[in-house]
Amino acid sequence: MERLRQDDPARIGDFVTLARLDADGSRGVPERRYLARSADGGRTVLVCLPPAGGDPARWAAEAQQAARLTQPGFWPVVECGGTSAFPWYASPYRPALPLPAVLAAHGGPLPEPLVRMLGGTLAEALASAHVLGIVHGGVCPAGVLLTACGPFLGCFGAMRATAVAGASATPATWLDTGCLAPELAAGAPVDRAGDVYALGAVLAYAATGHTVPERQEIPAGLRDIVTACRSRDADRRPEPARVLAELLPGAAYGALAGSTEPVSLPGRVVAALSRQSAEVLAAALPTQER
Amino acid sequence: MISPLLHDDPHTVGPFRILARLGGGGMGTVYLARSAGGRTVAVKTLHSRLTADTTLRTRFRLETDAARVIGSRHGAAVVDADPQAPTPWLATEYVLGPPLDEAVEAGGPLPEPAVRALGASLAAGLEQLHRSEVVHRDLKPSNVLVTAQGPRIIDFGIARSFGDEHLTNVGSAMGTPAFMSPEQAAGLEHAAAGDVFALAGVLVFAATGRGPFGGGAPTDLLYRVRFGEPDLGSVPEALRPLLSRCLAKDPAHRPSTSELFAALRGAEDAPVDPGGFADLLPDAVLREIARRSDEVWREPPHRLPPPVPAEAPHAGTAPVPGVSRRRLLYVAGGALLGGGLLGGGAWALLGDSEDGGGGAKKKDAVDRPKPPSPLWSAVLRCPDSGGEVMTVGRNLAMRAGIVLCGINAESGKPTWQANVAETWRSATDGTRMYALRGHQEKAASLAVCEVSQFHGELSKPLVELSAFTGKEQYNQLLCVADGTAYLVARAASGKRWYLVAADLKSGKERWRSPVDGPGTEGVPPVLSGVVVGSRVVLCGSPSTDSHFIGLSAHDKGHGRQLWEMSETFTGTLPPSRLVTDDRNLYFGAENLTARRLSDGGLEWYFGNRPGAGDRAREERRFGAPTVHDGVVYSTEGDQGLVAVDAASGTLNWQEKGLSGRKNKRDVAPAVGKRYAYCADDKGLRAIDLRTRKAVWTYETEPVVLTADPQGGRLYVRQEKRTVALPLA
Repeated sequence: MERLRQDDPARIGDFVTLARLDADGSRGVPERRYLARSADGGRTVLVCLPPAGGDPARWAAEAQQAARLTQPGFWPVVECGGTSAFPWYASPYRPALPLPAVLAAHGGPLPEPLVRMLGGTLAEALASAHVLGIVHGGVCPAGVLLTACGPFLGCFGAMRATAVAGASATPATWLDTGCLAPELAAGAPVDRAGDVYALGAVLAYAATGHTVPERQEIPAGLRDIVTACRSRDADRRPEPARVLAELLPGAAYGALAGSTEPVSLPGRVVAALSRQSAEVLAAALPTQER
Repeated sequence: MISPLLHDDPHTVGPFRILARLGGGGMGTVYLARSAGGRTVAVKTLHSRLTADTTLRTRFRLETDAARVIGSRHGAAVVDADPQAPTPWLATEYVLGPPLDEAVEAGGPLPEPAVRALGASLAAGLEQLHRSEVVHRDLKPSNVLVTAQGPRIIDFGIARSFGDEHLTNVGSAMGTPAFMSPEQAAGLEHAAAGDVFALAGVLVFAATGRGPFGGGAPTDLLYRVRFGEPDLGSVPEALRPLLSRCLAKDPAHRPSTSELFAALRGAEDAPVDPGGFADLLPDAVLREIARRSDEVWREPPHRLPPPVPAEAPHAGTAPVPGVSRRRLLYVAGGALLGGGLLGGGAWALLGDSEDGGGGAKKKDAVDRPKPPSPLWSAVLRCPDSGGEVMTVGRNLAMRAGIVLCGINAESGKPTWQANVAETWRSATDGTRMYALRGHQEKAASLAVCEVSQFHGELSKPLVELSAFTGKEQYNQLLCVADGTAYLVARAASGKRWYLVAADLKSGKERWRSPVDGPGTEGVPPVLSGVVVGSRVVLCGSPSTDSHFIGLSAHDKGHGRQLWEMSETFTGTLPPSRLVTDDRNLYFGAENLTARRLSDGGLEWYFGNRPGAGDRAREERRFGAPTVHDGVVYSTEGDQGLVAVDAASGTLNWQEKGLSGRKNKRDVAPAVGKRYAYCADDKGLRAIDLRTRKAVWTYETEPVVLTADPQGGRLYVRQEKRTVALPLA
């Protein structure tokens, strides 16, 4: 839970903001995310706003699309609101850490078994979406929200919402360029192979701390699959189901994404999740005293 | 575990909306609840069928106090509490972690580093409790929650203050045999060392999955706890000697909590890594912590419907159709309880049907509670200030006119009389009476003497200080505590005034600290002074026409002034005595305020409530307060008594149905077990603490009320007469 800054909104729709989700100075975060609470104190939510300098209307269109989906492993969007100039969407709050915060809590890159679990779960979520023709289009480290029951993919459509039409467009600062497949940077529409490229970047990030590592930085057991995902040639990237099979051999398909059972996480990551939960539990809206 | 509410669970408790059940026990239920501001808490309530049991109520209050003492680092932070409510409740933070017994069940015995870290933290928590003179008495694995940040001690169900004997008669029936101390098992005093014994048992359990004395029938266990050797066979080698010392049968042979803390932390002097504890926990425990952190945010389960009647009513024959068996059981239980309470039941019933002071005449039936008859009455003139009744040993002393009188507490007969004309020149430490040598005597120096309780003569000086003049009428003896007399006196040469601490045994001055001299003709420099904890707190006299009084605190050991502060007073008279507990000073004026003893800062103020009437007409809204058992009582305007939580300044309750009375603001209320007593223009009214309504009025014109809980008497000083009433 990060303190609000002076330029943060005090209210978004009917929600009163309590804290920021992302640490100050975080890079590559395609949304402004806040922990907030309804004025009657009853509902606590994660509310997201378009990034400063982005196109709010396109961002709002993606949010509305996300609100129609019930994909396992996709961070659920339950309410969209605001105006086309100041749109927002909200999800019910549950303790969640963006992947950069997970690495910060753990004190560095994550151990290989955890990277496999995270990557496998995200690959499964992408696989079940791709089967239905749904492309996430916003996979990046900050878009991965780790809960007690595993990771979820947030920031749906962040790349589509960004004006990347044409090679001349300068990539926006809120996008982690390491997650942007070469063909997308060149102006091609976001497709399934783009999701896989970004998944490779997320895996690289989890295992090394950055999205464009040298090949030898990547732990040996993950090197081939990460490199394959991050192939410049879209046709040579594996299907998400294949990524899942490589990362978690023998895993029962359909058992990972959107699970309601807690997963094994390192002590300090559990500590960070429970601390966030405790802080939001203890937070109270300012009320008129007597 | 979060489970659905039952159909008869409350919808709200205090200011909290109830969401789900967390657990239930013999004494009460714990709920997950949410405040208006969305803060989620765990609310513990006492079963409504037990709320009439004053011992349980007291224990509930002690638990609240203990939870406050231990705080959020080693326990669950207290958010709010109302131990006086019809259904007493305590709201704490919802702690995210399983109890130790469930943690060990889920993840197996903890590795040695985790046991050490757990033990060090628990020892630190106990030390904090013990420093505040609270013993847990029921430390066991299920009362230790394992969070990612460290263990938290909860459930002070039977915690109590040192030497609070009247709660011990339940003795060995309480506590848990497997983790009891031998002294507790024998029905003896379980002091701080008993908690050390229990802590060692908890650590043996954490390291092995079983208690040091195994399991089995409670009687066998009790025997083994008292006489058997603990089984430390499976405990890691390095921990054995330490734990076996903690498990010594003789409390004196056990290490202290601080020794234990140092031993468990080991040699590493490195700063404690706050995130490190979680890294020591088994994966299954971490998953359980994560699950609880997540689960609390899910939509709470739906409230369960009322149970289906156990027997379908037979047409025409069922005497009470549709009433469930459960309800019938409740009714039966209530009847039993009513019988057990004897007169209490009838009394409570009457309290409920009462409609307040201005009630209809026909209700003045024979059954209506009547004011009690006085135990005794004595003709004694009450001075304008300093009229409190002092308890001196088994008897009383009070200032009367131009003398100080000793009074037999049983009969009200005068026993001695001392010529100490000024009220500010005498004080008691509770067993003896002391006074300054008269300022008209020949001797030039300041002297403190004992007042004989046989004939009222002043003894030879216990302390004689030649640095201060004895000829000053406004020299003061503020108070006597722990063999030290605290005086305010003028220097022998010059006009400077000092607060002086003098040792009554050695007769020597311990320290002095300059204070302001008298500001008004006929009034001594200090209105009142008391020793609270490590401080001497003074309330200075106001200057003529000023509405400020100076407050200050001095260090009891060295006399150094710790802080100084001004407080306004409204009305004609400044407060004649300081109202304090171990935390705050309390004042009743425009608002009810609490100032911290630690720095004089404002801790809270109470007032400005909407709908509390027109306050513009009243110069002084709140009467002189009284603090009793963590609650500040004061009268608000003419609306009656308010009871405000001393720690937080939130309203516990207020008197209902009072009309047509004018409260006497200068008379602080007195509080007994059943009633609070307030002075108004009609006399002394007793307010039932349970129904919050006035039940009787004793016709009198009180100037000072003093409760004597030991003697069970309430002393009512009128201008010319003092009356003792039974304190209920």
